[in-house]
Amino acid sequence: MKLIAIVGTNSNTSTNRKLLQFMSKHFSARAEIEICEIKQIPAFDEPEDKYAPKEVQELCERIAAADGVIFSTPEYDHTIPAALKSVIEWISYTTRPLINKPVLIVGASHGLLGTSRAQTHLRQILDAPELKARVLPSSEFLLGHSLNAFDEEGNLVYADKLKELDEIFEEFQLFVEINNRLVQDHSFKTEQNKKFTWEQASQGGGVQ
Amino acid sequence: MKFIGIVGTNAKKSYNRQLLAFMQSHFSAKAEIEILELKDVPMFNESEDQSQTPVIQNFNTKIIEADGVIIATPEHNHSIPSALKSILEWLSYNLHPLDGKPLMIVGAAYDVQGSSRAQLHLRQILDAPGVNASVMPGYEFLLGRAHEAFDDAGNIQSERTVDFLESCFYRFMRFARVANLLNVPEEVAFEPGTYSVTAPGHNGDLPMTVELSSTRIEKIDIDTSGESQGIADVVFTRIPTQIIEGQTLNVDILSGASVTSSGVIDGVSKAVKMAGANPDVLKKRPKADSAINHGDEEYETDVIVVGAGGAGLAAAASVLQQGKNVIIVEKFPAIGGNTVRTGGPMNAADPQWQRKFAAIPGEGHTLQELAAIAEEQVDAEYLADFRIFKQQVADYLDETKNGKEFLFDSAIFHRMQTYFGGKRTDLRGNAIHGQYDLVKVLTDRALESVKWLEELGVEFDYNDVTMPVGALWRRGHKPVKHEGYAFVAALEQFVRGSGGRIITDTPVERLIIEADGRVSGIVGTGVAGQTVTVHAKAVVLASGGFGANTKMLKQYNTFWSEIDDEIKTSNSPAITGDGIRLGQSAGADLVGMGFSQMMPVSDPQTGALFSGLQVPPQNFVMVNTQGKRFVNEYGSRDQLSIAAIDNGGLFYLIADDKIKETAYNTNQDKIDKQVAKGTLFRADTLEELARQIGVEPATLVDTIAKYNSYVDQGHDPEFGKSAFDLKVATAPFYATPRKPAVHHTMGGLKIDTQTHVLNESGQIIPGLYAAGEVAGGIHAGNRLGGNSLTDIFTFGRIAGSTAIADHASAADGLTVRR
Repeated sequence: MKLIAIVGTNSNTSTNRKLLQFMSKHFSARAEIEICEIKQIPAFDEPEDKYAPKEVQELCERIAAADGVIFSTPEYDHTIPAALKSVIEWISYTTRPLINKPVLIVGASHGLLGTSRAQTHLRQILDAPELKARVLPSSEFLLGHSLNAFDEEGNLVYADKLKELDEIFEEFQLFVEINNRLVQDHSFKTEQNKKFTWEQASQGGGVQ
Repeated sequence: MKFIGIVGTNAKKSYNRQLLAFMQSHFSAKAEIEILELKDVPMFNESEDQSQTPVIQNFNTKIIEADGVIIATPEHNHSIPSALKSILEWLSYNLHPLDGKPLMIVGAAYDVQGSSRAQLHLRQILDAPGVNASVMPGYEFLLGRAHEAFDDAGNIQSERTVDFLESCFYRFMRFARVANLLNVPEEVAFEPGTYSVTAPGHNGDLPMTVELSSTRIEKIDIDTSGESQGIADVVFTRIPTQIIEGQTLNVDILSGASVTSSGVIDGVSKAVKMAGANPDVLKKRPKADSAINHGDEEYETDVIVVGAGGAGLAAAASVLQQGKNVIIVEKFPAIGGNTVRTGGPMNAADPQWQRKFAAIPGEGHTLQELAAIAEEQVDAEYLADFRIFKQQVADYLDETKNGKEFLFDSAIFHRMQTYFGGKRTDLRGNAIHGQYDLVKVLTDRALESVKWLEELGVEFDYNDVTMPVGALWRRGHKPVKHEGYAFVAALEQFVRGSGGRIITDTPVERLIIEADGRVSGIVGTGVAGQTVTVHAKAVVLASGGFGANTKMLKQYNTFWSEIDDEIKTSNSPAITGDGIRLGQSAGADLVGMGFSQMMPVSDPQTGALFSGLQVPPQNFVMVNTQGKRFVNEYGSRDQLSIAAIDNGGLFYLIADDKIKETAYNTNQDKIDKQVAKGTLFRADTLEELARQIGVEPATLVDTIAKYNSYVDQGHDPEFGKSAFDLKVATAPFYATPRKPAVHHTMGGLKIDTQTHVLNESGQIIPGLYAAGEVAGGIHAGNRLGGNSLTDIFTFGRIAGSTAIADHASAADGLTVRR
C-alpha cells in the first residue's frame, strides 16, 4: 500500500513532521509512507492563466498515484495553519485528486489538547464538495505534549498513544482497501471533470 | 469612529471587497472605514518571522489605532481563505493587535450560503487566545448570490438587505463603544507599604521586599547574599528594573533562568495582591520600553569578541587598551560565562612571593619524584626545559638542606607540571600532550597576566598561596573577595568604562566570511528576535568549551569508558560548543577533542562546585558509601574521577571543625542553611555522622583513625597521599556529598601562539582568533586546576593584541546603523 503523508506546516521544526517520520518508519512493513513537505508550495493565489504552479501539479500527481493520504496538522488559532489551507485550496482548484481518496487525519501539539479543534475543522473542510475526500470516520489521533513524545531516535515514547496509533492505522488500511474497491466499482467523476473557479465551487460544489 | 475593513481574500475580483466598499461609502457620515488588502501579505511561517516588515506592521499599527475591525470573508472549502488565515496568524504570533479589539464579521458569496460556514470558523479562530478579539455576537450578515446583489454603481440593490446591514453596523458601533471600555487600562490602588515575599534562588528561597506607594511599585529588593554572585544577578536586577520602568508585570523571562525569572514576577504579584490590588491588571500593561524590539540592528567596530566570559572580557580589554573599539556579543543575559563559577585561584609561578611561605609536608617529595622521571619518558621538545628543571630542584634541595624549607616554584616547573599533568592516552591508544609552544606562552606569561589584572583592579590576597583541586602545586593567586566574580567585575568595569559595548542575550548564528575566506563579522539573533549584524576587522572566538553539551561530549569522547546521558556539569548552561561550530564553518582544524575533564568534587544534584565545604586537597578525606577511603586525595582530577566512578559515583568529603575553616567557598550562614536543607551533613561525633550518611559507624571511625595516623607520620601506606595538612579531630564533623561532573573540555580549535585559528593545512584563517576553552592543544589530556584562569587571561589578552596588530590600519570609529 502506498500512502502520501502531508506535513501540515511550513515550519522548520515541527512535531507533526516527527510524527509522520515515525509512522513512516514504524509502519514500513505494512505500507510505504512517503512524506511530503508543503513549504515549497507557493501561497494560493488564483492564477490569471488558470494554471497552477508546477509544485502543485507534482503534489496532485503524487496524491493521485497514492492509495491514501495522511494529513498531520498543527493547530494555529483553533484551526489548521494557513500554509496547509493554502495547499488544500490549490488541490481543490486543480485536478482535485482528493475526491474519493481515503484520508487519515492526525495531529500533534505542544499543549494538552493535541490539535482537536484543528482536526474538526480539517474534517469539515475536506468534506466540502470540491474536495470530497473520504476521511476515516469516528477516529482521531490527537498527540498532546508532543515536545516530549519522541526520543532521540524519533520513536514515539508514549505507550498508550502508540497502541492507539497502531489500531487507527490498521483500521485506516482496511478503510483504504474497502473504499478503493467501492470507488473502482462506482466511479463518480462529475466534479473532477468540471473546470474550477471559486464561483462555481460556491454553487454547492458545482452540482447543478 | 474609525474602523479598519479587511478584505478576506487576495483574489483580484471579490464581492467582499465590493461589500466593504459599499459599507465605506454608505456609512461615511457615521464612521470612517479604511480598507486593507491581503495582496502583499506573505504566507505565515513561524521559522521566518516577518512581524517587523512594513506590510505586517501596517496592519498592526492601523488595527491598534482603530476603534474596531470589520472582516469580510469569502468561503473557500467550507472555511476562510488561507490568505485571511495567514494575516490572522501574523497578528497572533509576536504581535497581538486584535487582543480585545471590537470585531464585526460580514461575508459575501456567490451561492445562497453567503459564507455561513466560513463565518462560524472565523468566529472560533478569533476566539483563540493568541487572537482574542471581541467579536460582536449575533447580527450575522451573510450576503448570498453576491453576483446579483450589486448594481453597476456598486450599491446593494435590495432595500431589505441594506436595512439589515444598517442595523448590524449601527449595533456594531454601539458594541465597539462598550467593548472598548474593557480596554481602558484599569487603575490600580495599592495599600502603601513594604511587603515581604520571596524569590527562588539556587540554594532555596531568597527574601524579597516590594515597596508600594498608593499608585506605584517603587522599589524591589532581593537579598542575594545566599547566592554565588554573577550567576543569577541579571535576573535579580533586570527583571525588577523592567517592572519598575514599565510599572508592569508584563516582563519577558530570561533564557537559562526561567524558573528564577518567573519566581521574581510571582513574588511581586504576590506583594501586589497583599496590597489589595489585582496583579492581572499589571500583567495586561505594555512591556517596558527597554524590553521591546525596535527592529534589526547593524554595527561596525574594530574587533568582535564572541562570548563575555573571562577570555572574551580579557580580549576586549586588551583591544580597548590599544585605543580600538570592541563589541562583545554574549548569548546569555548574564556575562561571566564559566569564569564566575570558578573558585578563583589562578596559577602563576612567582618564586619571589612563594618563597616567603614554608613548605608543607610532602612537597619536597613531589619535587623529587618529578625530577626523577627518566628522560626517555619526556617528549623531545620538553627535554631542554626538563633538564633545567632538574637543576633547579637540585639547587633548591641544596639550599634547603639545612632544614629551612620554603615553597619552591618556577615558570619551568609550572610548565613541566602542565606538560606531565596533561599527558594522557585515550581508550584507542592515542597519546596526547600539551603543544610545547602554547604551554611555554601559558607558563612564561602567567605572572604578567596576574600583574595585568591587578592594573585593571583585581585585588589579590598575598597572605595566602593556595592550591585549587587538581592543581598539583601551591601557586594559586586568589582574589581577595568574590572568587571568580572578582575577575569578571573588574574587567566588565574596565570594558564598559573604556567605551566597549557588550550585547547580551544574542547568540551568534553565523560568521560573515568573505569570498577570500577572511572572517569579517557575525550575525546573531537578539533578545526580541531581531537580527544583530556586526562588521569588524577581526572576530575573536571566546565562547568556551562544550561541557554543557552532553551530545557533543559523547560524539567526540575517546577518553572515558562512558559518559552518562544524565551527567551533570559544573559549567554554565551556556557552554555548548558554539564557538567550535562557528570555527568549523570557517574551515578551522580541531585538536584533542576526545579529552574532557570531570570535576570529581561536584554537587551530586546540580553539578555545582560551590555547595558543601570545598577545602584544599591536602585536607580532602574522601570516603565511599561504605565509609572507606578509596583514592589518593591529592591525585589528579581524572584519577579522582575514575576512582569515584569505580566506587559508584557518589562519595563524601569528611571534614572537622578545623578543616571547615579552610573552606574557600562558604560561610557559617550558608553552612547552616545547607545542613538544614539536608545537602550537607553535620554531627558532634563521627558515629552520628556515619549514621546520617548511611555508613557503618565503626567503619568510618576506623577510616578516620587511620587517616589521622598517616597525617602524623606524613606518609599514607594505603593510597600514597603525598601532602597533608589537618587531621579530622575536632567536633562538629561534616560530610559533603560529591559526585564527578563534566568540568572542562580540553579539545577545541587549533591555534598558534598568537591565537590565530588554523585550518586543516595549518594555515591562518584571516580575521579569526580564538582564546580560552574554545581553543585546544594546551591542556591536552588533563587541565591542571587553576590553569584555566591563566589560560583565558593570557591568551585572551594576546588575542586582543594580535587582532589589532594584524589590522594596524583599522581605525574606524563605532557607528550604529539602524
